Amino acid sequence: MFKHLFKLIWNKKKQNFLLMTEMLVSFMVLFAVFTLMVYYYDNYKKPMGFKYQDVWVINISNSYQTKNTDSLDLYYETLRKTIKALPQVKELSFVSGNVPFSKRINQSGLTFKGKHIDHLNNFTAEDSYKETMNLGVLEGRWYNKSDAVSKYKLVVIDADLKEATFGKEPAVGKLLGNDDDKNKMKVIGVIQTIKRNGDYMTAGPGFYFRADTGSFRWLDKILVRVSPGADAAFEGKLYKTMAGYMKNSNIEIEHLTNKLKDANYFAVIPMIVLSIVSCFLVINVALGLFGVLWYNINKRKGEIGLRRAIGASGNSVSSQLVMESMILATLSLIIGSFLLYNFRC
Amino acid sequence: MLKNYLKIAIAVLRRRKFFTFISLFGISFTLTILMVLTAFIDKVIGDNYPDKKRDRLLYINRIEQKGKDDMTSGPLSYYFLSHYTGMMKTPVKVAISSGFSGTNTYVNNKKIAVNYKYTNADYWDVMDYDFTEGKPFNKQQVDNADHVAIISEDMKKQYFGDAGPVVGKYIEADNVNYRVLGVVKNVPLTSYMFFSDIYLPYTVSKADYKGKGYGGGYMGVLMGASKDDVPKMQAEYENLMKRVPVESKNYQHLYSHANTFVRSYVDTGNEDSSGVFIVITAISIFVFIFMLLPTLNLVNINITRIMERSSEIGVRKAFGASSQTLVYQFIVENLILTLLGGIIGTLLSAIALCGINSVNPIANLQLSINFTVLFIALLVCLVFGFLSGVYPAWRMSKLNVVTALKG
Repeated sequence: MFKHLFKLIWNKKKQNFLLMTEMLVSFMVLFAVFTLMVYYYDNYKKPMGFKYQDVWVINISNSYQTKNTDSLDLYYETLRKTIKALPQVKELSFVSGNVPFSKRINQSGLTFKGKHIDHLNNFTAEDSYKETMNLGVLEGRWYNKSDAVSKYKLVVIDADLKEATFGKEPAVGKLLGNDDDKNKMKVIGVIQTIKRNGDYMTAGPGFYFRADTGSFRWLDKILVRVSPGADAAFEGKLYKTMAGYMKNSNIEIEHLTNKLKDANYFAVIPMIVLSIVSCFLVINVALGLFGVLWYNINKRKGEIGLRRAIGASGNSVSSQLVMESMILATLSLIIGSFLLYNFRC
Repeated sequence: MLKNYLKIAIAVLRRRKFFTFISLFGISFTLTILMVLTAFIDKVIGDNYPDKKRDRLLYINRIEQKGKDDMTSGPLSYYFLSHYTGMMKTPVKVAISSGFSGTNTYVNNKKIAVNYKYTNADYWDVMDYDFTEGKPFNKQQVDNADHVAIISEDMKKQYFGDAGPVVGKYIEADNVNYRVLGVVKNVPLTSYMFFSDIYLPYTVSKADYKGKGYGGGYMGVLMGASKDDVPKMQAEYENLMKRVPVESKNYQHLYSHANTFVRSYVDTGNEDSSGVFIVITAISIFVFIFMLLPTLNLVNINITRIMERSSEIGVRKAFGASSQTLVYQFIVENLILTLLGGIIGTLLSAIALCGINSVNPIANLQLSINFTVLFIALLVCLVFGFLSGVYPAWRMSKLNVVTALKG
């Protein structure tokens, strides 16, 4: 049966070639769109890694300028106490500029046990970061006061980095660093990866360093967890407190929920546009193929009539025609898969 | 002759209405999407508010220093721009402004996000903002570091509501009170070099603008006396940059260019990768792939139609029509079909643009159909018609008369 069908198709190869090309290109387009959607969906299913509701970020444009580290620390400790004392503030932490959902990037690379890890996010935060963000601690612990003095430089890594370096084994207590680094860092905890690029994009591996006395010189953001009812009036009060204390700095307060919306915008808009465009393309192709195939079948009225006269049932005729089209489609799919497999990036 | 072709074409189209519908559907929708894309690009690049004197202007957005292992790239400091452009002889005026940054203000228990931008006095002479009220600040106010501000219409509505003229009133932003000197027409966010909610003199900036480092948050615009001065200005700036020493031993090369608008808009900040090249390649690939499917579709349908008319073609050939005449006729018929599809596509894109404008995804960005868009649409139609007609026409001319007559 199939040999017969193949022969029929081969007889009309020129015409069928065009049909197959159309099906091939639409298959590739659909494949590309679906790959993107699956990529987004995969990322969407992963947990956020922290609670972003009711967390605000305060951007400080100019840190306090002084050469004396002690007065710098005193300045910022006073600021911290002032903010913490405000009624609706639950917890706060000074952090490096690459807060979740921001466009700031602070990355480095690592070669560990021969494996090269690129786009490794570097975060710096304080002990209070865990409470501020409601982190998910998977292994070990977050930093605390006792880590101020330690033989090794300590580091907390996230789940993505742990998988890339230690695989399934527990990471706490192990040493992490470049293969040629004499002073490796000791891992004291593993936390859930924070989806810092929004719901739909991969976050990439990251590790977190503990802020030390000199860090205040360059940490220019504060993450603040506020109680759920905090409104614009309270935000105005927080703003005035900050601006009044840091007179030489521009202050901006953003809500993480809004920043998340903006970050997702970047993923959702291209997806919507691509879906609309590919939908139209596929409808176009479907209609075109429909028209062409209908005409072809019409031309074979004589052949069909002959088969019916000899005694073929209606079903047998229609199934033959359907099989011919299916074979064409399958051939296109096979060629398409082959091409995609060879060109996968 | 042409009138006959037209009549035949319309008769053929009416014979198989379904095929006609498919072809028109394909052409018109492809055209609609391409036209919306063109309108968008045209608005973003072509809209010359507020830099109306664009053909006499050059834009300096970045400075890049490169070494073997290190690279730094970013906007320039105020000091660098004013010092070096001050040495140049060709520009008539130099506008220096910062990129826009965000802050908040809280009024009536409401939070308003405010984008602010620092400028020098010449900025208002180089740019041509439309002032709905008041006027810009002048050199003396900048030198005195007066707390004055120019605000956008949107900002006025958000902060003051529907009050009358607001010149002379005070607006609080970033915990400082500024006196409003003027109100300007809104700039869409896509003109990111000139967008802001309030414009302030750079002398009131809380950041230190006197620092002698090369990097900072500012960009410059050079204004020449006429269009012909632009190449001279560009060369003068290039030569000047060649003589500037690098800031530290880590770097060996220093790059900074005064570019035309389009180049500076797509600047990637990396000397090695040209922004214009990347953008044009990306757009070309997208357009090519996008037009590939409908073209293939049309080719298929056209071949089918020709096969249908094989008896008619056979008769004409038997009567002595040359292949060339038949091909010519067929291509004309095809062009008529695609032009018809083009008209429908234009109508559809007008509706689509109205829809997009009412949704207003990017504030203050009003898309419209103008001559560039229409011209591109016409071009696309003709290309379509030609591409999808050539192959079937060639196939048709090869038809054997006898086989064609047999049906």
